[in-house]
Amino acid sequence: MNTNYIVENLKKEIDNFTLEIKAEKVGYVLEVFDGIAKVSGLGDIKSSEMVTFRGGEIGVALNLEEDTVGVIILDDFTKIKEKDEVKTTGRILEVSVGDAIIGRVVNALGLPIDGKGAIKTDKTYPIEKVAPGVITRLFVDQPVATGIKVIDAIIPIGRGQRELIIGDRQTGKTAIAVDTILNQRGQNMICIYVSIGQKDSKLRKIQTRLEKGGAMAYTVIVSAGSSEPAPLLYIAPYTGVSIAEYFMDQGKDVLIIYDDLSKHAVAYREISLLLRRPPGREAYPGDVFYLHSRLLERACRKNKEYGGGSITALPIVETQAGDVTAYIPTNVISITDGQIFLETDLFYKGIRPAVNVGLSVSRVGSNAQIKAMKKVAGTLKLDLAQYRELEAFSQFGSDLDNTTKQQLERGKRAVEVLKQPQYSPMAVERQVTVLYALVKGYMDDIPVDKIKEFEEGLINYTENNAKKFYKEIIETNMWTDTGEAELKKIIEEFKSSFS
Amino acid sequence: MNTLSNNNIARAIYLVLKEKTHTELQDINKKVVKFLVRRRLLSKAGDILKRLDKIINQESENIVVKVLSARKLKEESKKKLIFFLKERYKMKEVILTETIDEKLLGGIRVEINDEIIDLTVKNKIKKLQKHLTRKI
Repeated sequence: MNTNYIVENLKKEIDNFTLEIKAEKVGYVLEVFDGIAKVSGLGDIKSSEMVTFRGGEIGVALNLEEDTVGVIILDDFTKIKEKDEVKTTGRILEVSVGDAIIGRVVNALGLPIDGKGAIKTDKTYPIEKVAPGVITRLFVDQPVATGIKVIDAIIPIGRGQRELIIGDRQTGKTAIAVDTILNQRGQNMICIYVSIGQKDSKLRKIQTRLEKGGAMAYTVIVSAGSSEPAPLLYIAPYTGVSIAEYFMDQGKDVLIIYDDLSKHAVAYREISLLLRRPPGREAYPGDVFYLHSRLLERACRKNKEYGGGSITALPIVETQAGDVTAYIPTNVISITDGQIFLETDLFYKGIRPAVNVGLSVSRVGSNAQIKAMKKVAGTLKLDLAQYRELEAFSQFGSDLDNTTKQQLERGKRAVEVLKQPQYSPMAVERQVTVLYALVKGYMDDIPVDKIKEFEEGLINYTENNAKKFYKEIIETNMWTDTGEAELKKIIEEFKSSFS
Repeated sequence: MNTLSNNNIARAIYLVLKEKTHTELQDINKKVVKFLVRRRLLSKAGDILKRLDKIINQESENIVVKVLSARKLKEESKKKLIFFLKERYKMKEVILTETIDEKLLGGIRVEINDEIIDLTVKNKIKKLQKHLTRKI
């Protein structure tokens, strides 16, 4: 490269440079602390408007008072000094979106943090948007296959649904989310994992796991780690859902996981208290319900005329000592279309995933379940409910009549079948086969400790032999009489060879 | 808790002082000071006066403009500037305060309340620098 070339290029660039003359609204920093700045002036600023500080740092105006504006700072606030100039931009905060973002790890502002270079996109989406209206929506009737037996069978999730995953620490909440992402391979789904206030080591582990499972090919990770200031934690889920909306607007189905919203609420509480907004219950501000409702309302399924995409949201909330009546859990439970409730006791009993089937519900998912699954799951739900009722009596063992004993035995086997190790999602046709064998009583005389072995063998055997049944489930989502007869025969064959 | 904002107090003082004769004014001024002492607002007097100044200017359709330039402005350009500002802000009178700052290199910077029109060479160079060093 010679000097002439550089000079010529510079000349060209300078010729192209045009300066726009405009009157700018400015303010001055009065005080700055903990990611918050109080700014004077900025007369006609709008709420949620983006502002820029002298060093190019970005902020968002949250509190508009008579003389001052409360701004949250989304960059390093240590460089901002008193009396620094602050300019309005007339825009609300935006995040760059595009197909190139898939497979990347970005921060709460949508900038890459995985060291793989810049993300080339030409579009931006505002991070705050009003949720799609009634006219544009369609009811939930397509399933999201999580690959987890207990969820797909008993608490099914549909595309466009919002299903809360709730439980104490260390009960496998993130595991369910990660398994669900892993199972979306080939399911025509884009996944977004929003990590809010998590340890960076945990995120790295999840990222490695997803890469190993080939899931990063359809996944975006939005991360606001626990070391980052509260304003970034506060905007991270909105950034995630804006990226999701970009894909939904292209008619794609998106799954978004917010891990977790309790930390999000805590970050918002921190900001609110620093902005001197009055504290309410548990010191959360009055609008903490709106904080989550406006986020989760953006999950939806659009009808054909409006593009036909969907956003399924799986928010995670951590409880303290199983208390679901705390402020944030009750709020999010009431916003979502159901919850998956995980319990510590079950977890340590070895029932993993530790889903409490009695307290977990899915309010809209049953419409989305495939026919075959609906058929086997109906009886399974009943079996489990009866088992729970009778469990207390099981201590009296010998005094029970035969029917009760049988129900207890069936329940034990159902619990055993619904156990599933982490990172091993199961295809829906396999799930149907196993559950069919269970509810039709083929497992009743197998010892409980042999159930897992039986299940594994059965899947391998039926997959190779009951091809017709499998084909019917994959193609039509239901079996026919001939398929069922074939399956029955194969199960019996396998059972006789199983010792 | 004090529910009166400085702005409210300034506006109240303005309304009391409005259209009063010279002798009346003296009396009122004393009362205002007494009020501030009674309400323990004397420490905020500076801010209240600043706001009162702003309100008086606004009500009498005056506009205070701060002009920063590298060199002293020529009378002709000053006139032009005043004419332009009167038109833009629909005000009767423009009160110019001039400051010379050689660091601006050239051009002028006009500050009106929280609005800034920056036409200095320094600003242009800064923008050009941003343009040339932007990421493509």
